[in-house]
Amino acid sequence: MSRRGSSVAHEAEATPGFEGVPPELIGHHFSSAARQNEAMRLGMWLFLATEVLLFAGLFCGYAVYRFQFPLAFEECSRHLNIPLGTLNTVVLITSSFTVALAIHFARTDRRRASAICLAITLLFALAFLGIKSVEYLEHFKEHALPGKYYSSEEVKVPGAAMFYTLYFLMTGLHGFHVVAGMSVLSYILFRTLQGRYSSAYYTGVELGGLYWHLVDLVWIFLYPLLYLI
Amino acid sequence: MASGYEHAEHHSAIPYVVVWVILLACTALTYLTGTAHLGKWALPVAMTIAVFKSSLVAIIFTHLRESGCATRLVFVTALVFVALLIFFTVADVATRFSLSTPAGAPFGTERSQPEGLLEHETPDE
Repeated sequence: MSRRGSSVAHEAEATPGFEGVPPELIGHHFSSAARQNEAMRLGMWLFLATEVLLFAGLFCGYAVYRFQFPLAFEECSRHLNIPLGTLNTVVLITSSFTVALAIHFARTDRRRASAICLAITLLFALAFLGIKSVEYLEHFKEHALPGKYYSSEEVKVPGAAMFYTLYFLMTGLHGFHVVAGMSVLSYILFRTLQGRYSSAYYTGVELGGLYWHLVDLVWIFLYPLLYLI
Repeated sequence: MASGYEHAEHHSAIPYVVVWVILLACTALTYLTGTAHLGKWALPVAMTIAVFKSSLVAIIFTHLRESGCATRLVFVTALVFVALLIFFTVADVATRFSLSTPAGAPFGTERSQPEGLLEHETPDE
């Protein structure tokens, strides 16, 4: 017990980044701002772990059906719009970079730069969704749709419908995450403009950024699996 | 952990720029190797690049190194379970004899050929 108490005291002393946090921002059940930050981070990572496992289930389904229909998966992926997919990868990676910059500026007390970076990230997210919807429109025109709705004339190999089922499930779920991430980042941009974050307290920016990095991470795997192989 | 925060006091944005450039270069590399038709090497090459890219994002962009032990434990545990899930599923389907699509299954655009069926099955079953 005493050992635990001393470690808390040690931590509060050893983390200069958390001095001067307004007391109303610290929950009464936390001994210090550093403790609270650590708990919030842990909670976010636990949530991200469940998200990773959610996507892992879909990747697993992809692996199984790829073994079952190797030919269809190859033909269909060649039929996707590779330039647009690559462009979207660049857009998402750059947006992840601007989020990292936003966190960096928030923790070094450059609020304006942080807000600009968050706004740019939101624009990139919009661009991603725009490019994705252009691709979706192409699929709709070709009737390259999931399951029994598949009636495309372009690829007529058994299993093509299964590829598009997985394609729409994976990119669709990822798209929902982009939308969710955009709402989180908009809220954080709003709070940044209100001046709620500083070098003493930037946990919100950090956690919102973590979510956006997850969105980027999933796409890093989706891009080669769906478009390139 | 304390050293991480002290480090944060005077850190610069240069590492993020470097990581961003590396990520873009890796994307170009994935694109080039992915469109070069490497055959059976395509999947391992693409996945290696993807794992490298994602670890850059997960470790540097998210400041995982500065986080506490519990956070890192969560991250590693999630990765272990993903690896278990994917490995055993792939190990299963990769070592089976080639599967056939049952006739009339809603997977394809048309019925699979009768010769794709197992011996004891008839197309109209």
